[in-house]
Amino acid sequence: MTEKNKPILEVKGLKTHFYTKRGVSKAVDGIDFTLKKGETLGIVGESGCGKSMTSLSILRLIPSPPGKIAGGQILFKGKDLVSLPEDEMRKIRGNEISMIFQEPMTSLNPVIPVGEQIAEALRLHQNMGKKEAWTKSIEMLKLVGIPSPDKRAKQEPFQLSGGMRQRVMIAMALACTPEVLIADEPTTALDVTIQAQILSLIKDLQTKLGMGVIMITHDLGVVAETCDSVAVMYAGNIVEHAATEYIFTNPKHPYTLGLINSLPKIHEDQEELQTIEGSVPSPYNMPIGCRFASRCPFEQPICHAKQPELVEQADGSKVRCWMYTDKWTGQVIEKEAVQ
Amino acid sequence: MLMFIFRRLLQTIPVVIGVTFVVFFIMQLVPGDPAVLLAGEGASKETINGIREQLGLNRPLLVQYFDYLTNIFHGDFGTSLKNSQPVLDEIMVRLPITMELAFFSILITIILGMAAGIISAIKPYSLTDTGVMLVALLGISLPSFWFGLMMMYFFSVKLQILPVAGWDSILHVILPSLTLGAGGAAIVARMTRSSMLEVVRQDYIRTARAKGLRERVIIYKHALRNALIPVITVVGLQFGSLLGGTVLVESIFAINGLGRMIVDAIRMRDLPMVQGGVLMASLIFVIVNLLVDVFYRFFNKRIELN
Repeated sequence: MTEKNKPILEVKGLKTHFYTKRGVSKAVDGIDFTLKKGETLGIVGESGCGKSMTSLSILRLIPSPPGKIAGGQILFKGKDLVSLPEDEMRKIRGNEISMIFQEPMTSLNPVIPVGEQIAEALRLHQNMGKKEAWTKSIEMLKLVGIPSPDKRAKQEPFQLSGGMRQRVMIAMALACTPEVLIADEPTTALDVTIQAQILSLIKDLQTKLGMGVIMITHDLGVVAETCDSVAVMYAGNIVEHAATEYIFTNPKHPYTLGLINSLPKIHEDQEELQTIEGSVPSPYNMPIGCRFASRCPFEQPICHAKQPELVEQADGSKVRCWMYTDKWTGQVIEKEAVQ
Repeated sequence: MLMFIFRRLLQTIPVVIGVTFVVFFIMQLVPGDPAVLLAGEGASKETINGIREQLGLNRPLLVQYFDYLTNIFHGDFGTSLKNSQPVLDEIMVRLPITMELAFFSILITIILGMAAGIISAIKPYSLTDTGVMLVALLGISLPSFWFGLMMMYFFSVKLQILPVAGWDSILHVILPSLTLGAGGAAIVARMTRSSMLEVVRQDYIRTARAKGLRERVIIYKHALRNALIPVITVVGLQFGSLLGGTVLVESIFAINGLGRMIVDAIRMRDLPMVQGGVLMASLIFVIVNLLVDVFYRFFNKRIELN
């Protein structure tokens, strides 16, 4: 195994549940994936499918109570983060694994100068002095492309535009040169030109620093541009995990197919966008069978009886669907189904 | 920042003039004629008219008011009807005492209130939180005259560890300040708690956690500064009711402060004295509000200078 292919983060059977008065909400219900050094893994899915909770679980930042990691392992360089003591975990947060949040407008402290917000992580994790950390934080602001960084560092978030704030977030996340960067919808709140700049910035820095990146998004355009492989999440499960090109050219799970088909096509004159009928099952009351079955155009009796496993296919991708087992008797996805 | 303070100072001028206006005319509505009172019962009409003439009470009200206003800007608050001494002299003797009392009370309000609020907010809905908030509820509900008397009974009469009344040593300060500061402390505690709970749910607190900061740093550096902004407003408002409270507390603990002076003056119908006292209290309140604004600006730079 070469250095590049070494897995740096392995998530095995992760379950994050919320214990509320209404019952147990299984936000993340047994997911597995591996992130290699230098790889970019996309996690896609609609709102509430558990993608943000997955990323927060990795850093153990689930609001607790009511949330709790109910099972599974998160192996970071062989150490299980789930059972790590809190002070050990603190040394990893912002240092070896860091995170960019989706709301640049509210994720920075409104009353602390942005330079100080970057510098404080450096002082904490890199044992830098006050002056050294400040110089380095200006350097970081320059690296993420903020003009006149020494002036900006002294400013507070309200004096910066949305795009600049997101750059500050990135500078903050990268200050301690982490080995894993989790970017939770880093560009959702930004307009398209800034979005492109931010994405290429992350990519640049990834090449320079060799980080593994987990890109959480619901924007398939972002996925196509940045990710090596993609995990599609639905109702707390990964339903398909494949190389990015396969996801777009050969989606296997009916849900992935639905997602791809609901993308607007630029070269076609479309009256209406395609949608996936129905809605996501309540996290308090998950069906015993396949969670997508009630919305699936291919559904069979077996789909409602038992949940399928995530099974590896000949081309290396993994799918959680009865269609790809020998128990399947119904219709299958034709190649032409991808529009 | 200096410019801001200067501009804010200019803004207080119309407020102060407005206050003098209200104070002056409210005094005119008080029943009882000071000239009659001064002359004593059974005095002849001529004597009363003579006094009226002498004090200028027979002139039109507006003239009297402008006279009063000009005198104030010359530092002349009038002469006490009771002992013919300048009102300002009396105020200057009493004011430091009341300011001392107000200072220690507001200190108790701030320190006790914020500490209780933070303790509650760190572990919301815990036993500590419930306990602290119950005490705070008592603090708001108990009238200060009763609370003061109870403390006096317990600490001074029963335990005999603190003096009953007067204003001589630091020991004398404790009970009156506690009495006066307790209600405010309770309000500040509840405000701090709810403000902290609001702030710790914010995204930037999650960012601070994701950075690997210690819980202590997150609470005191990232959360508290944001949570304090609404608390400062409450403290400023509390100062107003605290000034009103000095009237009661000074009477209970026999402290010769401004509040007691006003009460005595009202009893004697010593109008210039009452006017002077109320005006001074209002001026203090205006200044405190100015300070609150400056603090506000310091804690939250998002507030525009103008």
